This record gives sequence, structure tokens and C-alpha cells, in this order.
Amino acid sequence: MAITSYERLDTTNDITTTRTLLHESIPLTGTIVSGTYGTFPDDNNIKNYTHEQFQSVYDYPFLSSSANHIYDLSIGFDEASPMSGSVSIVQESKKINMYNQMSQVLLGYTGSANDVRKFEIDTTLDGSGIMRESLFINFARLITKDQIKKGTVTVTLGTGSWATPFALTRTLTDASASATEGTANTLGGDYGVLYDSDSDNLAYGVVFYQAGLIALSTASFGTITDFFSNSAGTKSVLNTFVSCSITASTDAFRHRVQNISFNNTTEINSSIYFCRVPHNKYNHSANPTYLSSSTIRVKSVNSDQPISYITTIGLYSSDNELLAVAKLSEPLRKDPTNELTLRVRLDY
Amino acid sequence: MGFLDNSGDIILDAVLTEAGRRRMAQGSFRIVKFALGDDEIDYSLYNKNHPSGSAYYDLEILQTPIFEAFTQVNAGINYGLLSTTATDLLYLPSIKTNEKSQMASKTLAIRSSGSSGLFLLTDSSNDTSTTSISSVLDADSIESIDGFAPQTAVLVETGLDTGVGQIPAGSDSNRQSLLVSNGLIDNKLIISYDSRFISGIKGLDSQSSVANNATSNQINASLSLTDGTRTNINSGLENYNTINVVGIKNSIAQTTSPNTEADFSSISGPRGVMAAVAPVIKQGLDAEYSLYGGTSTVGATAVKFIDTTIYVQGSTSNTQLQIPFRILKLS
Repeated sequence: MAITSYERLDTTNDITTTRTLLHESIPLTGTIVSGTYGTFPDDNNIKNYTHEQFQSVYDYPFLSSSANHIYDLSIGFDEASPMSGSVSIVQESKKINMYNQMSQVLLGYTGSANDVRKFEIDTTLDGSGIMRESLFINFARLITKDQIKKGTVTVTLGTGSWATPFALTRTLTDASASATEGTANTLGGDYGVLYDSDSDNLAYGVVFYQAGLIALSTASFGTITDFFSNSAGTKSVLNTFVSCSITASTDAFRHRVQNISFNNTTEINSSIYFCRVPHNKYNHSANPTYLSSSTIRVKSVNSDQPISYITTIGLYSSDNELLAVAKLSEPLRKDPTNELTLRVRLDY
Repeated sequence: MGFLDNSGDIILDAVLTEAGRRRMAQGSFRIVKFALGDDEIDYSLYNKNHPSGSAYYDLEILQTPIFEAFTQVNAGINYGLLSTTATDLLYLPSIKTNEKSQMASKTLAIRSSGSSGLFLLTDSSNDTSTTSISSVLDADSIESIDGFAPQTAVLVETGLDTGVGQIPAGSDSNRQSLLVSNGLIDNKLIISYDSRFISGIKGLDSQSSVANNATSNQINASLSLTDGTRTNINSGLENYNTINVVGIKNSIAQTTSPNTEADFSSISGPRGVMAAVAPVIKQGLDAEYSLYGGTSTVGATAVKFIDTTIYVQGSTSNTQLQIPFRILKLS
């Protein structure tokens, strides 16, 4: 029914806006990508496509409506990579295209010839430290939300043999990155460098925080000779890039992901409405139970204080349309002896 | 629709309504005012006789569980708290329909139909040269309003309905001191109606008058109908439009030798205003009868009907009344 008693909000003093960053810890254990659902490499939560440009990892068999997309895996290399142009290379153009697509969106072009920039394992983009061959982890928006929190990324990779990949591990972190330093800003947003936390603090990849992407250098897997293995034999990581499809290469990569974790960030913009209820108003109610034979139930004589109980705050437009509703968790007593300020926050 | 957790601190659970989301999509979301509601509260739980003292009077009220916020506009605030600043009020106006037989026989008022409490509106679109819906109702002495050209109406009254023989008495001086002086006279009433079935509302014209005459036990009424004034007041109900109708001074008052007030008024106490509600039904209602209504018989005659509710609200006092109507036409 139509409400006739309103209190105006002073747009200067009664309304303010705030911005809050909300963080969630996202641990992605390696068993999700290899072995939890089905038998490697044909896990039920790994979706491969006929185009074979990437594969998708879900947190549950992907045919289930309960499954959530977690991230995609792919590989690629630069046209100037030594393996480019190899006679026996498999899916060469797709691998180059994947690399270029990632780099052109995240880093853009450089020079008068508009050359696509290359991924570098530093924050200077000066042409040194180029990663010409990369493994990509593209996280779904569902888990990164607005961005990955800087300084929270940890990737643990198995660098042991094919049979026991996690007998040796390498843990990469972006611990040197923070909200104020240790990152570079590019077309695709801020990126930080992933360093090996255990050994000599060498860099092995980069993480793009807003884009939610990790690009790892093939050097992450060192000189292991059996990065990939099947009945035909074993291959190093570079040989895998050359002679295996993207799908087979990402299968081998999955086999060596022990753990990925980071904190995501959700940016919450809020409008706060300070609803100031004066002491001398809103002490009576139009609630039908407020009266008994037209007599105010909460009073016995005229001099008794009128009392009302607030349960709901309605926020209205200038033409009296109810735009938002806030409910108190318990009734709030209002009488002429108290003045209330109810702080209503709307998040966007 | 869950309850809010009330085991800890007081929290506020805020949501955008459907209208809020629509406005946001349109880029016209702007909040400029607020209102307060108490729909969940049952004030009859206020126990002024609690043996443990005044601190316990509202114990049960304060324990009322509160629903989560709804997103439907009409479920937001239905009644609301009043911004009146007076603190010495002991009475607030109520609103009632007037179904006094004296008023029905001597004015344009009609009464509800039997035990159902429904007021009847006739749709003459299926009338024939030999049978009309009005004549079928008349044959059973059932009062109704001509839905296309109302000459009769439902009368409503506001006032302090404290009871026969109770104080304050329904005198003109009490009307002045308890209603007029406190700004509790509803010179307009807001009528909300379902626009799918009803095209408008007729109310009393501002020249109408009503008073009682003790000496001859007569009602001195001059009541005539005119179209209500359309408003853009948002009723919060889907498909409902609003119209203002005039509330005329209700001069029916306590009299002596004899006291005739109870013969003409359903308010037992100081009276505020009287108004009329005469809905005008939409032309061409047909499929609506099967979609929203049903079939029945009046005597031996088969009829179709649609039931709808009209909401009446005092523009000043906010006192509210729901009037159930039944639109009838021959099958």
C-alpha cells in the first residue's frame, strides 16, 4: 500500500560511498587436475576440444551441472623461438597463435612495425629475459573474481621423474610483488614475476593479476628428460612442445602440477545511507494492530509516551518507488526519547 | 522466506527490489528518501498489565522474529510508521464501511451481499432484452452498483471508533479537539484498484454533505458522485492504479432525545470524514472471467464473476481498509 510518511535524505550528509576489497583464499590442489576424477590423462573433469587449442579443468566431472570451470591450460611459443620452423613440429601455427594471442592482449605491440611484445621474466619489458616458449594457466573469472591479490600466488610444480613427479618440486611465488611495488603495468593490467622460492631466486614465469593468467617458462621444468612419457618413449619439455599436440603437452603439464594457490579479490563498491530518525517522528504506526477501538494500544493515558517498533527501512526514489529494502534482525524500539541513525549499506 | 538470525548484534539485511534493479539497468537509480515499517509487529502483544512491570510490557514484541528482506515492491512496507510529531495522542482514526440500513434506504449507499461480505458490481454486457444482471439481483433483493454507470456506492467513514457509550463521545467538539486539531482529518482518500478489471473510481463530489437530525431521526444527506482524481501515487501492488476521492465532513454526531448517531454511522465516536467508493468496470471484460474468475448462480440464473479487492487509505492518517468486490455478469 502507498506509504505517505517519508524522511528525506540529505544527499551531502546522509549518503556516502565506500570501496572495499574482499579477499578469498583459493587453494587448487594438484589432485584436482590429475587423478581425482577418472584415470589420467582421461580425467572426467578435464574437457578437451576438437580445436585442441587448450583444455579446460573443472572441479567436478564437467558433464555434471554441478561442475565449475576452474582454469584452462595451453602452451605456445614465439615465432622467433628456435623450435619454430622445425620440420617435424606438431600444430606449429596453433602454438604460435596461442602465444601471440596471449601476448598481444596482455602486452600489446611495440615499435613502428607493431611487433607483438614477448613475455619476459622481469618487470622491465626491455627485450631481455624473453620467454619464447610458455605454458599458460588461464584462471576462470569464477575464482579470480576481480583480480588475483598481489603477493599471494604460489605454484608448486613436480620436477621429478615421470613416474614420481613430486619426488622433486619447485615452488614459484610472487612474494616480491605487492600492491605498491614489484609489479609492472601493461595493456593487460599489472603483472608480477614468479620466482623460485627455494634455490637461487631465479624467475620462471609471470602472473597477470587482473587478467588472471600465469605464463610459465619451460625452464620451470629444468632439464628433466621425461617431462612427457608414453609407450613410445620419453620427451623433454622442449621436445614435447615440438612433437606433441597442445592437448598432449597440457596433459603432461597437468601431471606435474602439485599445487596452485592465491587469494582472489572482489571489489565491493557500497553506498551507505544514514537514515536519521528524529526523536519526535515515527513514534506512531499505521499497523492495523496498533489500535484497539481506535485507541493506541501502547498508551493508557495521553501523557504516556507513544512507542513504535521498527523492523524495516524502505529506500525510495523521488516518485515514491521502493528501490531497496533493509530489514533489522530484531525490532528496534522507537519513542520520543531516542533518536536513531540507521546505517543502510547497499553493495554493488 | 527465512527469518534473520537474531541471536547476536542487530544487523541490517538490505536488498534491491525488482524496481531498484530495473532502475539500475535504466540508469535512473537514485534514492532520495526513506520510510520505516513495522509490518511484522503485532501490537496486541504489548502487555500493559505484565506482573513484572513496565520493562516487560514489550518483551514479546521485542522477541518477534523478522523476515529476510523481500525483493517484491509490494512486500516491502505495507503500513509504515507515521511522521506525526504529536506525542499526546491517545486515539488515531479507524476506517470502516457504512452498511447501515438507514443509509442504504435513504442515500446512495449499498450494503455487502449476505455473509460473504462482498460488494457487488454489475457488468451488463451480457444483458438481453428480457434478462439483465441487475434484475436478477433485484429479484433476490441483493444490492449492487451499476459497473458501467454507478449511481450507488460503498460508503466509508473515518473516525475514532471507541465504542457505543465509551469516551470520547461522537460530539462535534470532540471531532474538533481530537481529530481536526491533531491534523487527523483525511480530506482525501487514496483508492488503489486493479486496473485489469476497473477503469476508474467515482467518489463523492466536494459539495456533498451529511448530518443527522435528532428530532426527526432523519439523515440529512446530499450525496452525489463524481470521478476521482488520478494520482501517480505508487500503491506497490502489481497492476494497481491509484485515485484520490474526496472525504467530506462527517457531521453525523451524538444527539440527544433521541441519539440517532448509531442509526446512520458505523463509527461509534468522533467522526472524521465520509467518502464513497464506486468502481467503474472496464469495458469489454470477457476472457478475464475465465482467467481470473469463475461461475456461480444467482437464484436460478448462471453468472460469471471476478473477485477483486479495492484498498482505501486515508491520505493523512494512513488508516487503511480493504473492500472486497465481485464483478458479476450473465453467463
